[in-house]
Amino acid sequence: MTTYTITLANRDGASYRVAAHRPLLDSLRDQGVDLPYGCQYGGCITCAAKLTQGSVNQKAQVALNNRQINDGYVILCVARPTGDCTLEIGVDSHDKLYRNPFLDPLKPHELKADIATPLKEPT
Amino acid sequence: MAGNGMSECCGPGYASPADAMKAPREKLLYSIAIYTGTGIQKPDYLVTIDADPDSPAYSQVISRLEMPGIGDELHHMGWNACSSCHGDADMERKYLIVPGVRSTNLHIVDCATDPRNPRLHKVIEGSKIKAKTNLSAPHTVHCLGSDIIISMLGDAQGNAPGGYLHLNKDFEIVGRWENSMGDIKFGYDFWYQPRHNVMVSSEWAAPNTFMPGFDLEEVGHLKYGRELHFWDFEKKEPKQTFYLGEDGLIPLEVRFHHDPASSHGFVGAALSANIIHWWKDEGGEWQWEKIVDVENEPHPEWPIPVPGVISVILLSMDDQFLYLCNWLHGDIRQYDISDPHNAKLTGQVWMGGLLGRAPEVNGVKVTGGPQMIQLSLDGKRLYVTTSLFSTWDNQFYPEIRTNGGCMLMVNCDSDKGGMQIDPDFVVDFGKEPNGPSRCHETRYPGGDCTSDIWL
Ligand code: FES
Repeated sequence: MTTYTITLANRDGASYRVAAHRPLLDSLRDQGVDLPYGCQYGGCITCAAKLTQGSVNQKAQVALNNRQINDGYVILCVARPTGDCTLEIGVDSHDKLYRNPFLDPLKPHELKADIATPLKEPT
Repeated sequence: MAGNGMSECCGPGYASPADAMKAPREKLLYSIAIYTGTGIQKPDYLVTIDADPDSPAYSQVISRLEMPGIGDELHHMGWNACSSCHGDADMERKYLIVPGVRSTNLHIVDCATDPRNPRLHKVIEGSKIKAKTNLSAPHTVHCLGSDIIISMLGDAQGNAPGGYLHLNKDFEIVGRWENSMGDIKFGYDFWYQPRHNVMVSSEWAAPNTFMPGFDLEEVGHLKYGRELHFWDFEKKEPKQTFYLGEDGLIPLEVRFHHDPASSHGFVGAALSANIIHWWKDEGGEWQWEKIVDVENEPHPEWPIPVPGVISVILLSMDDQFLYLCNWLHGDIRQYDISDPHNAKLTGQVWMGGLLGRAPEVNGVKVTGGPQMIQLSLDGKRLYVTTSLFSTWDNQFYPEIRTNGGCMLMVNCDSDKGGMQIDPDFVVDFGKEPNGPSRCHETRYPGGDCTSDIWL
């Protein structure tokens, strides 16, 4: 079984070994990390965390727009690690997650993937 | 227990709206309070508030019932029975159905055994509802006769349009209530008027769209609703749809007249900040018109004017007054709708909001704006809470995380019209024992102006 190390930067750098094939929310909660969550299928954003190092596969998420993804947010209830990662977890990592939509509109490429205008370079 | 709306001979509720207005004054309020999205890792809970002015605990939370898990986002709720089964002596208004929008869990709470200390009777797990009906994101709860139907805003994966969950009186899942969703794109609120064989439903958005927060651009991409649906209630299928267009962006709360013979009803279009009125004309055709248009207001720091965002509307039991909240502006308005085609503004009060008109009320900093409201049966007291939805609160009123929500009461002149914030009633959810929480919908043990329907 492939495992990776997840470091929680805003929990005194605590680190955990997790399986590559399981969602991070499940693996971390099983090891006693207190995490917020709601829908548990990737649609409601409650479990969002900020990925500051490493990479995940979060293809199943439908909660984040492209700006939030570019700001490093990942949806822990569906994200599976594809390498060692450093995360900031919980609502204290949500500084850039919420924005007043009237004051700070999204650009066409920053919308959710299904309606965003693609930029030239593929990502 | 007086206040349960029980008379000696009959089932729950009242024989008529006029009878309901003569019921004893509400002494207890039930409201939900949430920690979902706040950073506090505690379950959402149901609060019981003392609303008896002669009690030493007046205007205080007297009990709290925590849900079993975290992350439900309690939101709207409804009674297991209302005046629609007044004639059924076997029924009792005993249980509140308290859904979690994010988790899809349904909590059945016994409020009658000890009204001051409601207790959890049963939980219907979200996973079970999804598996059996492919529905998620419960919203409005209405009983109809002895059954219960709940609008579910998504399928099990959070896609629109969802459908309607049907429970029997023992809170077992019967299945899906509707026979067809027709071409309906989204679900939200609904109300039925059986004498006209009609149900009207409105549209928010898919759970996957509204739950993460509000992206204004998604309105232009048709990810939010702008239609109103008229159902054949007996056939359980939509019959006619009104495209409200720019006048009806995000139509939310749906209210028919309480008078069961009337065909008049109203919906608040949140983003357009309009009130839409509908009725059946002499030829038996449904018609609609816009009767209230709240102007956008300039804001000192915004490049664009602020829309009101009408998050709720409510009708007094005698159908004379319509109340609405402009959650972003911060005002509650009272309109005389004795002539439903001509709404006349008769009252207005301010609390919170983004325009800075009333940042503090009764010594409490109001974070958020007037949001959910509940009116006493006699039409004289309007209870108001300030939080809309955790993610949307976080976008528009981020300080709510540290300040929490609050509940206020407005005294209403149910005769000539007029409103005044009561100086002695305030519940500050910023001071809750586990930290600041946010309060949303309110109900009374004896029924209220948004639950009872007459056959
Ligand atoms: S819990 Fe809803 S997106 Fe993860």
